[in-house]
Amino acid sequence: MPTEANGIKNAADLARLIEAVAATRDREAFAALFDYFAPRIKSVLMRSNTPPAAAEELAQEAMLTVWSKAAQFDRTRAGAPAWIFTIARNLRIDAVRREQRAKVLDLESTEFLEPPQQPDDELDAGEREQRVRRAISALPDDQLKVMRLSFFEGKAHGDIALELQLPLGTVKSRIRLAMNRLRDLLGDLT
Amino acid sequence: MSRHHPKNTTLADFAAGMLDEGRSLVVASHLAMCGHCRTFVAALEEAGGQLLTEVAPVAMASDAAARALRVLDSEANAPRAGERKNAAMPVWQPERNTLLDYELGPWRQVAPGLHHRVVKVPPGGGTRVFMLKAAPGMKIPEHTHTGTELTCVLSGAFIHEGGRFGPGDCDDADDLDGHTPLIDGDEACICLVAMQGELKLSGLLGRLMQPFVRI
Repeated sequence: MPTEANGIKNAADLARLIEAVAATRDREAFAALFDYFAPRIKSVLMRSNTPPAAAEELAQEAMLTVWSKAAQFDRTRAGAPAWIFTIARNLRIDAVRREQRAKVLDLESTEFLEPPQQPDDELDAGEREQRVRRAISALPDDQLKVMRLSFFEGKAHGDIALELQLPLGTVKSRIRLAMNRLRDLLGDLT
Repeated sequence: MSRHHPKNTTLADFAAGMLDEGRSLVVASHLAMCGHCRTFVAALEEAGGQLLTEVAPVAMASDAAARALRVLDSEANAPRAGERKNAAMPVWQPERNTLLDYELGPWRQVAPGLHHRVVKVPPGGGTRVFMLKAAPGMKIPEHTHTGTELTCVLSGAFIHEGGRFGPGDCDDADDLDGHTPLIDGDEACICLVAMQGELKLSGLLGRLMQPFVRI
């Protein structure tokens, strides 16, 4: 992660800002989080064909949710970017389903039948971040590209095929290979 | 411990928020009983977060942050509308008429030893969600589907060509898979199913059941 204007160097800096918002309703910390994440959330939404004005609104809404849910952030469970990714994702699901009565399956809030069993699960957040980063960078470029478009930007397989000028079957098989590869690479994590 | 999991691509679509509501509900039911897949989904969310830090930012309106702070001022510390409250309960509680807050229709017998109930998920994506309860020793009629079918066992067990499926196990079937599940053990088997397309059944039981699953 390149250093930002406001001194944010890594995920731990972002985690500290969220914790400051939770602990003292720190408005400066919130403004720093806003400056960092809102333009990125807007960017991702626009890539998944959300019109700019709607992307701007959803990014606003995501950051207001960050403020109100900050106390639920737990850096041992998820990195700051991952936590904000799930907030933005859930808002996008809500927006898509609004017509049909919004409901998101909030796994964080469900008391699970089977607790995470392995003590290795309690990996240090920094270590988990590193391993996921290594796994992603170990993907061949062609798989990473379709994974980025499909998983991250939320594009339909048919649209990816058009964009990359590939047969639909090739797109589908690359996505399948990428996800199986990730699961293998993260095997001892999962 | 589950031994049969959704496809990795299904879990990725779930983590990306791209599964329709019905299939999400089935995946969530599996995740509630499978720590391995839960950890994989968390790793995918971590990956999503990392991609988020790497994306080229698109400038917000110049007063966007100030506007957000004004909204926070006007709301003080009041909880935001529409916020979900925590649902601290296991996914499947047989005595309840809900599943993860979704209302369940009444059990209806569709054939001797076979009951069906609708899970009231708002329509979308052409997916129907229902529960099936089959008596011990029962054989579900051979069927294939024109779309995909995602099943999670909530209690009991069945066996088919793919192996034995117990509580928490997930059967992530393509349109080409045909199967004839047999209920295993002396307990009724209750499954949660999200089905796209049409189910094609054969045999007498199939013809009895067909009108119901076409709801």
